[in-house]
Amino acid sequence: MFMFRAQSGIHRIGNDTMAGSSRQQTHVLYAEHHGWLFGWLRGKIGNASDAADLAHDTFVRILASRHLPDNLGQEPRALLAHIAKGLVIDHWRRQDVQRVAMEALRHLPESFMPSPEERLVMVEALVRVDAMLASLPARTRQVFLLAQLEGLTLQQISEQAGMPVITVRRHIRKALLACMSTL
Amino acid sequence: MPHRTLDDNPAGLPDQKLLEEAADWAIAFQYETPDPRREAQFREWHGLSAAHEQAWERARQVFATFGQVPTPLTREVLERLNHASARRRTLRLLAGGAVLLPVGLSLARHQPWREWLSDERTAVGERRTIALPDQSELALNTASAVNVSFTSAQRRLQLVAGEILIATQPDLPGFKRPFLVETPYGTVRALGTRFGLRLLEDGSSRVSVFRHAVEITPQHGAPRILEEGQQVHFTTTEVMQPMPVDENSGLWQQGMLLAQDMRLGDVVAELARYRRGFLNCDPAIAGQRVSGSISLSDTDSALDLLERTLPVRIVRRTSYWISVQPRG
Repeated sequence: MFMFRAQSGIHRIGNDTMAGSSRQQTHVLYAEHHGWLFGWLRGKIGNASDAADLAHDTFVRILASRHLPDNLGQEPRALLAHIAKGLVIDHWRRQDVQRVAMEALRHLPESFMPSPEERLVMVEALVRVDAMLASLPARTRQVFLLAQLEGLTLQQISEQAGMPVITVRRHIRKALLACMSTL
Repeated sequence: MPHRTLDDNPAGLPDQKLLEEAADWAIAFQYETPDPRREAQFREWHGLSAAHEQAWERARQVFATFGQVPTPLTREVLERLNHASARRRTLRLLAGGAVLLPVGLSLARHQPWREWLSDERTAVGERRTIALPDQSELALNTASAVNVSFTSAQRRLQLVAGEILIATQPDLPGFKRPFLVETPYGTVRALGTRFGLRLLEDGSSRVSVFRHAVEITPQHGAPRILEEGQQVHFTTTEVMQPMPVDENSGLWQQGMLLAQDMRLGDVVAELARYRRGFLNCDPAIAGQRVSGSISLSDTDSALDLLERTLPVRIVRRTSYWISVQPRG
């Protein structure tokens, strides 16, 4: 499954394979509701440039789904707001991760001083790690991280967590599959 | 996980069955030691189709993503997010877009200490006592793991595995930060105190209060105060009936197990926590009641002592596979 991110400068609207009538409807949808959606988003996140990104992402999301735009029902704004709300939550989470990562970077020992480019790569990777782990139940996440971050063997985790190795393995498999689907 | 709406077509996502097979291979290569035959089998599987290759690529990307960040950084970021964000996000949703600054973070720069974070862990058989930044004492029993996070707003521990004993100190002058210990099942708040906390295998925690009191809040349950001299089990949903605390249950800090009319099976199970490998007790004698003191620092001597003083024999199949059997 894929994940949209608000990326300044990338406003991808339209789809080359889309039928002409759908394209027409998209334009109508966009013309009629974009202004409203942008205003709604700006009210939510208080930042015009992020709101513009998220408004575009919302339309891109609509285009990418199969419901497309001739099938939006009687209340297209309700659907737009529904999609946008999910993107706003992702946006906030992303900001949380970025802020926390920058703080943590400041606390690292001075011998470990990544370049600004390395920092960006790390922060991006941490956003993805956070998204991958987000759907996991606490226990599964904990077991997976013991293996992935602490480097413990399945046997060691089994001893520490007091669960059979086969259960440890099941947790890790579940976590890995969730991560693979979220990437 | 990103929020999804409509039925997003998982474009480019390989078949679920292939993903599962890829995950199994990934576990074999990443967390287990595969033998050479398995590697040959894997290469064969991987070459079966482009879809197999793509499924494997997904697994590889998961590890590559983790690999882009130094592990201590990932650990710290996940830890901080875990504590901070869920609640704050809810607040922001409620506030309808108003930006609420986390108070602790904005104050932190002006406070006389820096945030203090560490991960403490002990190996099987190891015990360790450390001083926290406020001079509170934290003792970790065998095979235990605790994350420590002291900020300007709170003193917080997270018990990840095993067992700890805590003797709290009043906070630094001018501060009244709560002292909290999180477990997977709920949070224990110290009310000026010495107490023990242990994660059990049955999906519960056990709290023993040796001095003053604590407040226990199960993850999905109402808070409850536990007074000095009480001990209780709690799960994610409830706090069980308190019982008198076993005063000897904190003696592990001194490397001692003092058994008073204890089941032999329970004594052996306790000893097993301090040893690598497999140590069990024959069910035929597990119910026998025993009393005495044994050393947790030297479990081989402890086993010898059992053999000398009780009608049991210690069967050592290997040094990692030991069984306590009836004698004769």
